[in-house]
Amino acid sequence: MYDEVGPSEMIVHLGPQHPMLPGPFRLNAKLRGETVVDSEVEMGWIHKGIEKILENKTYLQGITIVDRICYLAALTNEEAYVGCVEKLAGIEVPERAQYIRVIMEELSRIQSHLLGMGEYASFVGFVSMFMYTIKEREDLMSVIDSVTGARITHSFLRFGGVKDDLPEGFKEDVKYVFGNLRKAIDNYEELFSTDSIYKARTVGIGTLTAEVAKDIGVSGPPLRATGVAFDIRKDEPYLVYKDLDFKVCTQTAGDVFARVQVRLDEMRESMYIVEQCLDQIPSGPIFPEGTAYGRRSPVMRIPAGEVFHRVEDPRGEMGFYMVSDGSDKPYRVKIRGPVYPTLQALPPLLKGVPVADIVAIAGSMDTCTSEVDR
Amino acid sequence: MDAKAMIDSLSSQFTGVIYDAQVESDIRILAKVKPESVKDICQYLKEKLSFGHLCCEFGVDYPERNEIEVVYVIGSYEHPVVLTLKAILPRDDPEVESVVPVYWNANWYERETYELFGVKYLDHPDLRPLVLPQDMLGEWPLRKDYKGFPNKTARNLV
Amino acid sequence: MAEVEPVSTNNKDDMQEEIPGVMTTSTSAISDFLKKTKAQDIINWGRKNSLWFTVNAMGCCGVELLSTGMAHYDTDRFGIIPRNSPRHADVLIISGYVTKKYFPALKRIWDQMPAPKWVIAYGDCAISGGPFYESYSTRQNVDEVFPVDIYVPGCPPRCEALIQAFYELQKKIVAKKDKGTDY
Repeated sequence: MYDEVGPSEMIVHLGPQHPMLPGPFRLNAKLRGETVVDSEVEMGWIHKGIEKILENKTYLQGITIVDRICYLAALTNEEAYVGCVEKLAGIEVPERAQYIRVIMEELSRIQSHLLGMGEYASFVGFVSMFMYTIKEREDLMSVIDSVTGARITHSFLRFGGVKDDLPEGFKEDVKYVFGNLRKAIDNYEELFSTDSIYKARTVGIGTLTAEVAKDIGVSGPPLRATGVAFDIRKDEPYLVYKDLDFKVCTQTAGDVFARVQVRLDEMRESMYIVEQCLDQIPSGPIFPEGTAYGRRSPVMRIPAGEVFHRVEDPRGEMGFYMVSDGSDKPYRVKIRGPVYPTLQALPPLLKGVPVADIVAIAGSMDTCTSEVDR
Repeated sequence: MDAKAMIDSLSSQFTGVIYDAQVESDIRILAKVKPESVKDICQYLKEKLSFGHLCCEFGVDYPERNEIEVVYVIGSYEHPVVLTLKAILPRDDPEVESVVPVYWNANWYERETYELFGVKYLDHPDLRPLVLPQDMLGEWPLRKDYKGFPNKTARNLV
Repeated sequence: MAEVEPVSTNNKDDMQEEIPGVMTTSTSAISDFLKKTKAQDIINWGRKNSLWFTVNAMGCCGVELLSTGMAHYDTDRFGIIPRNSPRHADVLIISGYVTKKYFPALKRIWDQMPAPKWVIAYGDCAISGGPFYESYSTRQNVDEVFPVDIYVPGCPPRCEALIQAFYELQKKIVAKKDKGTDY
């Protein structure tokens, strides 16, 4: 890219610290006039070496570390990690704990979409939209906070169960928050679908076709916006998702507008899932009884083996590959984040677009740099 | 086509190259592969068995066996089966063919495996460090014998 | 004007030449003089009420940083406004793990900020490395490089903690104990 910079071309660096970016990464764009000719993503500004750290922590200590892979999807990260250990050790999760996990993960999905959407809206020039979404998100955070005791990094899941049961009056709180949130989402949708300036900036911009998206390996809302109904909750059901009624939200256009629309629909669908769970949730223990592993055993030895477990993150497919050698620490943990291919897809998407569209396209991907860098 | 039929099709197509193939469950299959034919197998998997989604690719270091395993986890958009392919490389000089021509998103995975494990990918379009600064190249931090870990504990914790 | 005399002689090197009968001075001399008077109290009162901070979300704490500046916690009412450009900002919030690769960039943001400027170390990672203190990629003890005024412990600290941090910083500025300005 740097080798042949023509006389009327120049290279513009966006980042690593830039208001448009959801985290530190650097986008080097080669421009001819106002058009992006070529671009390249530089990563690693917040590479923390989580995979190496996990090798040196016991399994229980690892839960707090995986929280911090992606700060907006802490609960789904935990689910993927805890699910790996449960598969290796053969721990059965009691049904009530499974329902609690589904409720918390769906709530966390909604808050992640709210923040991602607000951030994106501020990138395309609707800063007040960020204020609206954060307002709703704070209500939701209080609900999550009332169960896990934390806002961002929860450390809530345990091997075989969850840390705490749902508190008194949780159902009413959720009902109250969801009432407001439904109205808010309808408002957002109306705003997005009627504003002509917004539509001019998003419809037909950054179009990803299904073939290209599959080839690139994208998953989650950017893939579903192209019409591919790929959702781990349906394709490879974990927890109690196979007993629940929900549909995979898809759009066909594959552009920026469609990606945001998918997120709006998914928030509604998640609310529907949570409501079902709250109606169906059985009473019972939240930890398995009579297993070799104690409730909070700091040292637990997991049988040797290898496992790949994947869950549906707010951003797509989150997978953990864990190699255990029979000791109390994992031998190797590989984290497969959903944003990794999504961010990789930016350079081909940005080819030939004007500079002003970079932020719209990058923002609509809802990238999380922390997870790519790990 | 279920998991058993897939692994049979793969083994019959590449006799002697695929070994230790096993079906772990309905949706997980595992096989080891000779490093020199990884690309051909991936091509076959993508075109004939619709394994079009490379979930991830990474290295695992085994110093006692003097081996580095490069693991390819390949899923699909059409069926729920996930295939784990393992190529075993010598630890002193790990070299394997790049699968970027088949799976486009292997690009970053291979760059990361290169800088963290020192696995050299042949015919990779752009093999340079991804997440580490340039001066850390050659330290291979994710190998088990990496000495700089834990490098310096914070002052107030000592 | 007797007090001005020693200050201006301190800066003799800056002056072009001595003109008989004319007393010359420089901006730094004036500001050095003001620091000893009541005027500095008024200046500090103004400064403490407009602490604009940079939005550089670097990790988990960055999300709380965003939330703090937005509708619910609404720091605008204290004159604490998120600014996207370091050129507009007074407060650098180190909101996460400082890696070896990111450190030069962060240093550059700090250098771009106009004085007077303050640093808040927000979260355990910025204070001591936090959960990543033993990583091969992160850098510890950033307070040896940046003059940190306020440390906010927590992983991540809540938004209220950041508001309290600003309150503590305001108190420090009023008491002239902050590291952003040398008195």
